[in-house]
Amino acid sequence: MSETILKLDNVTKVYPNGTVANRDINMEFEKGEIHSIVGENGAGKSTLMKVIFGIERPSSGSVTYKGEETNFSSSMDAIKAGIGMVHQHFMLIPSFSIVDNIILGDEPTSGIFIDKKEAARRCQELSDKYNFELDVNAKVSTLSVAKRQKVEILKTLYRNAELIILDEPTSVLTPQETDKLFDQLRSFKEQGHTILFISHKLEEVKKISDKISVIRNGVSKGTYLNEDLSMQQLTNLIIGRDLDSDMNAYKTHEDFHNEKALVIKDLYMERNGKPVLDHMSFAVKNGEILGIAGVEGNGQQELVRCITGLEETAYTGDIEICGNRVNELNIKGRRDLGMAYIPEDRMGDGIAGSLPISDNLISTYYDRDDINNKVFMNSKAIKETAENLVKTFAVKTKTIDAAVNSLSGGNIQKVVVAREYNTNSKFMIAEQPTHGIDIGSEEFVHHKLIEMRNAGAGILLVSANLNEVMSLSDRIIVMFDGQIAGYFPNAKDVSESELGMYMLGAKHQTPQEIGGALND
Amino acid sequence: MQNSIFSTLFSMRFLITAIRLATPIVFAAIGTFIAASSGIGNIAIESIMTFAALAGVLGSYLSGSAWVGVLTGIAIGIVTVMLIAFFSMKMGANAMLIMIALNTFADSVAIFVMFLMTGEKGTTASLTTPILSTLDIPIIKDIPILGEIVSGQYVLTYICWLIVILLFIFIYKTPTGMRMRACGLNADAARTAGINVERLQVLSLILSGIFAALGGVYLSLNYLKIFSRGMVSGQGWMGVAANGIAAGNYWLLILAALIFAVFRAVSISFSSNSAFPTDLVNAIPYFAVFVILTVVSIVNYYRVKRGKVEEH
Repeated sequence: MSETILKLDNVTKVYPNGTVANRDINMEFEKGEIHSIVGENGAGKSTLMKVIFGIERPSSGSVTYKGEETNFSSSMDAIKAGIGMVHQHFMLIPSFSIVDNIILGDEPTSGIFIDKKEAARRCQELSDKYNFELDVNAKVSTLSVAKRQKVEILKTLYRNAELIILDEPTSVLTPQETDKLFDQLRSFKEQGHTILFISHKLEEVKKISDKISVIRNGVSKGTYLNEDLSMQQLTNLIIGRDLDSDMNAYKTHEDFHNEKALVIKDLYMERNGKPVLDHMSFAVKNGEILGIAGVEGNGQQELVRCITGLEETAYTGDIEICGNRVNELNIKGRRDLGMAYIPEDRMGDGIAGSLPISDNLISTYYDRDDINNKVFMNSKAIKETAENLVKTFAVKTKTIDAAVNSLSGGNIQKVVVAREYNTNSKFMIAEQPTHGIDIGSEEFVHHKLIEMRNAGAGILLVSANLNEVMSLSDRIIVMFDGQIAGYFPNAKDVSESELGMYMLGAKHQTPQEIGGALND
Repeated sequence: MQNSIFSTLFSMRFLITAIRLATPIVFAAIGTFIAASSGIGNIAIESIMTFAALAGVLGSYLSGSAWVGVLTGIAIGIVTVMLIAFFSMKMGANAMLIMIALNTFADSVAIFVMFLMTGEKGTTASLTTPILSTLDIPIIKDIPILGEIVSGQYVLTYICWLIVILLFIFIYKTPTGMRMRACGLNADAARTAGINVERLQVLSLILSGIFAALGGVYLSLNYLKIFSRGMVSGQGWMGVAANGIAAGNYWLLILAALIFAVFRAVSISFSSNSAFPTDLVNAIPYFAVFVILTVVSIVNYYRVKRGKVEEH
């Protein structure tokens, strides 16, 4: 033990546009340890990983791997040296088999041909050795997210990686799957692999790490032994101040006379001959947050697409928004009835990236009378609206004329939330509203959602982040396999592991219990 | 009259014609397919065929060897795709616009060059050009029916079908082919696996240029034996259309190309029959492309509606 495998000396990375992403970072990683790197979005974690993995070159300073200064010109060099990376967004080809995905770029051959038999044998051997329980001939498109992640890890092991970087690996996993992943990481550690673990979720970091390094604003805030650090200290190191964790404290309790913002009755939809939404019924009342928990890919996306009007596949059942049946209405028609929507795909659906912040702040209600003079847009009113919103939502920008994609992820999300907030809608769908943004922005978004709830809006919260669902929701639904697997009328009374059982399909409530989702 | 139409359609001659007509379309189709497999939409096939058809004749005329003509055509094909690669990948221009520009000026440039070389604007008939011949295959040529179809075709037709088989093996059985497909399906995944995506895309473009060029020289050195203005007349586009129909399925691609060839053969058989207006008859293959693409799109639309689409 205590043999240094990777050492960063005064690593500084300045991008051509002058942004300093990393400043004089010194870190040391020992062989066979699980070492977490934590920090807010834009703190410089990903840049640092890119430097280690050979995607970016440091502007100054040096990276020493196994006693030799590295001079990687691409990630290929890093892979050859024995560094592997599991990216947050999987780098897999769905129509290829597991084997093909693993061997891609390093294929065993016989003559000029790929030796498929040898490839399958090696991959299966590797999968069995680490208890991954994969049939390596299966197509990746048929796999669950957790299994796809295993394929990604196998890719690095196939290339004999000794140092494995995992970028936000738990963001798509259930608690149970996360536990399993952690067991596996510990077994890698025992076999001498070094794990570099990047995460937003501090509980998990505390659970798995031997050491924790904190980065804030591109500067290293030190490396600590896990046991020497309390949660509170860790949080303070990351954001430099204390956080509110109890969102319930902000909730007020007014009665909105059981008005329903959304009613879903017997919603059913098929894909590839298989039901993806299997007779779902539930309602969102005004003045409440209904949380939908579930592992990604259990129908949440399709459900949201049906409600917003994005879905093109035929479905049956009724959708009512603010008391009106909307099945036949398009997206605009539904918005006019009082629907607001924070989409999961922020960059693709949430904003028009190259347009200014101001335009993005009004794009879903551009035809409202106060910013539109029938023929021309009222540029003065737009400017006023945008400036107000930027101020109230603390969007970090010099001017509202800047292209919105020049902002950081957290600030872009604030723009999206600000716009949807400003529609004054009675019904809001918040789909992964804080996915991949820093805890400061996350807290802000949470407060705004609760503010809307307190003002009488019904909010449907769809999130893979269990903590978020549990801390914000009044009632919780768990989706599994296109069905409501569990319904919890009182979010405060349910534990994380209980929800996890339903998310994985280990438990399923009776129709009577689930019926409350619609009728309560 | 009806009798004569049917006897034409079901004659041996018709089948042989269809096979001859299929060659340039199949070349165009595999040219589009190989570029698309690495993620590049090559819609310049039509212009590459035009350039190569003329270059083939001129190379053959100047050197006195038809095979040198073929190589000249291939060289021009490679130069054209390298221009596309240079402007789009190195200079950051929009590849589609470059290819549209190439297609737009291909015919005029060809006529201009032809005029410089021959003083004529219609055909290169005034040049005495060595051309490629047909090939009789021993033994097989004596087998009834099969011999008539398989033997005695143009040399480049045999080369075409050989390439069709070799290309299949290349794309689906070799490491380079698999990496190329990976680039087309998820370039980021390929890149993080340490694959040089740009290099493979250039390689696939070069192959694409070679195949399209072979389609072009087939027309001018093998099939028609001269270059004449407008001779490619949409056959490159039919290859592009076949690729669109195939949606990544190699043998469906070849089938689609063959179907287009059959419609061209129909059109040619009918045009010798004065009972039909020539312009209408000439439009048959293009109308077929239109109808087939429409049907395929409608089928796909309903597959999406019924949720029967897989992730790629």
